Amino acid sequence: MTGVRTPPTRRGSRSQPGDPEGTASAPAPSFSIWGWARWAWLQLTSMRTALVLLFLLAVASVPGSMLPQEGIDPQAVQQYYAAHPSLAPLLGRLSLFNVFAAPWFAAIYLLLFASLAGCVIPRTFRLAGSARQQPPQAPANLSRLPHAARHETTLAPDEALAAAAAVLSAKRFRLRTGDGWISAEKGYLREAGNLLFHLALLVLLAAVCVGGMFGYKANRLLVAGDSFANTATDLDAFHPGRAVSAADLQPFTIALDRFEASYITSGALRGQPSRFDALIRYSPEPGTAMRGYQLRVNHPLSVDGVRVFLIGHGYAPAFRVTDGTGRVVFDGPVPFIAVEQAGLTSEGVIKVPDAHPQQLGFAGVFLPTAVDVGGRLGSAFPAPLNPVVSLVSYAGNLGMNSGPAQSVYQLDTSGLRRLPVKPRPLAPGQSIKLPDGDGTLTFTGYRQWISLAITYDPGTLPALIAGMTALAGLLLSFFIRRRRMFVRARRGPDGNTVVDVGGLARSDAAGGFETEFPSLADEIKAAGQGSEPAVPAPSPAPVPGAGTGGGPPAADDATEEE
Amino acid sequence: MPINEGLANLSHYAFVITVMAYALAVLAFACDFAFGRHAIGPLKPAKEQAADLVAVGSAPRAADPGTPGRPPGPGSGGTPPGPGASAPATTPAGPGTGRAAEGMGRWVQVGIVLTVLGLAAHILGVVSRGLAVHRVPWGDMYEFVTTVTCVAVIFFLFLMFRYRAYRLGLFVIGPVVILLGLAETVIYTPAGQLPPALQSYWLAIHVTSITLATGAFVVAALFAAVYLLADRHAKRAAAGLPTRAGAIFRILPAPKVIDQLAYRTVLFGFPLWTFGIIAGAIWADEAWGRYWGWDPTETWAFITWVVYAGYLHARATAGWRGRKSAYIQLIGFGCLLFNTIVVSILIKGLHSYAGLS
Repeated sequence: MTGVRTPPTRRGSRSQPGDPEGTASAPAPSFSIWGWARWAWLQLTSMRTALVLLFLLAVASVPGSMLPQEGIDPQAVQQYYAAHPSLAPLLGRLSLFNVFAAPWFAAIYLLLFASLAGCVIPRTFRLAGSARQQPPQAPANLSRLPHAARHETTLAPDEALAAAAAVLSAKRFRLRTGDGWISAEKGYLREAGNLLFHLALLVLLAAVCVGGMFGYKANRLLVAGDSFANTATDLDAFHPGRAVSAADLQPFTIALDRFEASYITSGALRGQPSRFDALIRYSPEPGTAMRGYQLRVNHPLSVDGVRVFLIGHGYAPAFRVTDGTGRVVFDGPVPFIAVEQAGLTSEGVIKVPDAHPQQLGFAGVFLPTAVDVGGRLGSAFPAPLNPVVSLVSYAGNLGMNSGPAQSVYQLDTSGLRRLPVKPRPLAPGQSIKLPDGDGTLTFTGYRQWISLAITYDPGTLPALIAGMTALAGLLLSFFIRRRRMFVRARRGPDGNTVVDVGGLARSDAAGGFETEFPSLADEIKAAGQGSEPAVPAPSPAPVPGAGTGGGPPAADDATEEE
Repeated sequence: MPINEGLANLSHYAFVITVMAYALAVLAFACDFAFGRHAIGPLKPAKEQAADLVAVGSAPRAADPGTPGRPPGPGSGGTPPGPGASAPATTPAGPGTGRAAEGMGRWVQVGIVLTVLGLAAHILGVVSRGLAVHRVPWGDMYEFVTTVTCVAVIFFLFLMFRYRAYRLGLFVIGPVVILLGLAETVIYTPAGQLPPALQSYWLAIHVTSITLATGAFVVAALFAAVYLLADRHAKRAAAGLPTRAGAIFRILPAPKVIDQLAYRTVLFGFPLWTFGIIAGAIWADEAWGRYWGWDPTETWAFITWVVYAGYLHARATAGWRGRKSAYIQLIGFGCLLFNTIVVSILIKGLHSYAGLS
């Protein structure tokens, strides 16, 4: 978004050049509804309003990075509620846990984009209109222009002008000729680039909306050896777009055969992962043959327009629980969640609602490489070199049949009694015998799990095209200068023809006209004839402080937006 | 592939040499201010300089081709008409135009030679680190800082030679020495393999453009800071108020020129930053399944982009030019620094790859 300055026009123009302080971006309102509406629209589309909205947008984004966000980490939001019980509801009411979907955030960017549209669309029509416009007449006194040069030639004035016209038209300047003068202009693409950039931003917003309407996101935790189908009921979390229903899901199935993680085993980065490989099989539709795929980070699986990403991994220790009646009431892996990355110490719970005479619950820690650190157990390495589980056992009522839905990773201990079992780390194959004949738990081994993100976003490609277009427009508007060249030729007192060349950069953000002009002037002179040196136009008052020429960049605002 | 420890050590020593060379260069640049002989020419009273600036500012209106022969408008305020401001442009690029363009002087020459030597060691350090780890050498915070400073020095040298802004060396190489020194001592991270999340060719594209943009923004922010000081000095001098360090500001380029340099540096950095964000979005789409997810680092990259966009617009808006826009640029740079330092180290997010714990 740069250089949104428009030539002064009647409507929708931002901050006119003649306006000393930018205050007159809108005329005073006449006191009718139409007058007020017009005034409000002019205010909205003024550059100042756009600037203020731009900064508001920046400020409004800040809380989204400071506070946990629903859309990114809902668990962190819950933790925040637990930690700040009085403050959190207040923040929640202000949508501060969901900033980027908040109505006030939407209000800011919608106003900004309305302001943008109000400025850019009329300018697009004007640009289209000016595409056939001729350059202006040459000013009478070219030596007053920011760039000027003079030379003499033996050619007649007409011939000198024709030679200059040939030079400029070979450089693809648009030419206009008059009596004793030529006027030429080039660089219309600059304004086009500027508009392209702003229009591309509008398209980008539209693409984001399309994604929000017709796309969906889902998550699934998958233990090695298991499989799942892409249906709303079989997914852990499903966030459909507004226009998506569960019936729209692409019906593929994915099975995880094996997950392999490699870690750096020595040096300062010991324990850092170096490679994750998930060997999966998938079938695009029920009934079709399963195909193998090696799913890795940065290498998603693409099925039927949907992409499946490997975004996490962990351990799922497996347990067998026999209850007081001697029946096996639980047998299988339980995903544990890593609480730290260096050793992948993971926590989880085992709920056994079918146990008799009482329900059983266990809260546990899984240590992939258990070591004794000063009497406490810790994990020294993320790979399972010495896997150990340490459990706390409970019996009583798990509370799963009533009340709100429970997390599978948390144990509601309100109806439970902690059993007096001496905490003892279990290696695979080892068991705890619960007191009073309540049963036995055996740590049978472990598996690995992966978490998958499943996403479908039809707005991605349009957004990418819009983004690249915006960048192209940006480059055009920064590095193309719109400039005018004027040539006047007249018969001098000594019979020679005096040729005046003047130049004006209407917009020259990155600079360069100060070197382009002299070379153009030289070419015009050389086209005229001989080899006399160019005489610089008389300059009334050289200003050393401004330091132009080949030295520091021209500091004159004339070269910026007109 | 295993890390090449020999090259990793070479890289470390190269950076030590770099810091020493730059530190000596800073000393030389400082000596130029202290002991250098400056051919300033006839000293102009500060008031006259300020008048020049007014004349420069009013030039465009007097030169509007749409109104041939129009007398200087009221905006010129009785100062000489503008054309003179840029008339020297017709003379081919040569020394002697403008204050900043005068010869560099012995101390500056020493400073530049040391800077170039330091840069050679700097590039050697970055390249050998990359060869040691078999990838682009900007995968963690330490590598990022060493590369960004390298880019900043290259940008600065380019601008310095192109616009003959020799005397700004002190203000650019000085902070670079501090940054690089901190990188070697506080956040030094031994050469190592990248985690799987960073094992993608997009690292080379996304982080490279962000690094280049950051290098440009570092230089632009330093210029903006110098501009604000020089402008304040010029204004106070013009108003006849007592000023400090006048000897320094007198031999610096005019405030307007510094401001313009800062602007052009941002013009270079902003598209790079934009491209870096787009490349990051493509990578995020490849790695995480969404091109934009308001991860804290993404959010702050967006904020930074918005503030720099505001800077570019402010320069084209009446009433926001000059000092105000320079402040906006510094705020933008503050956001960038916040993102690099606070967000990537302290705030948990998907971009937590700083390698510092």
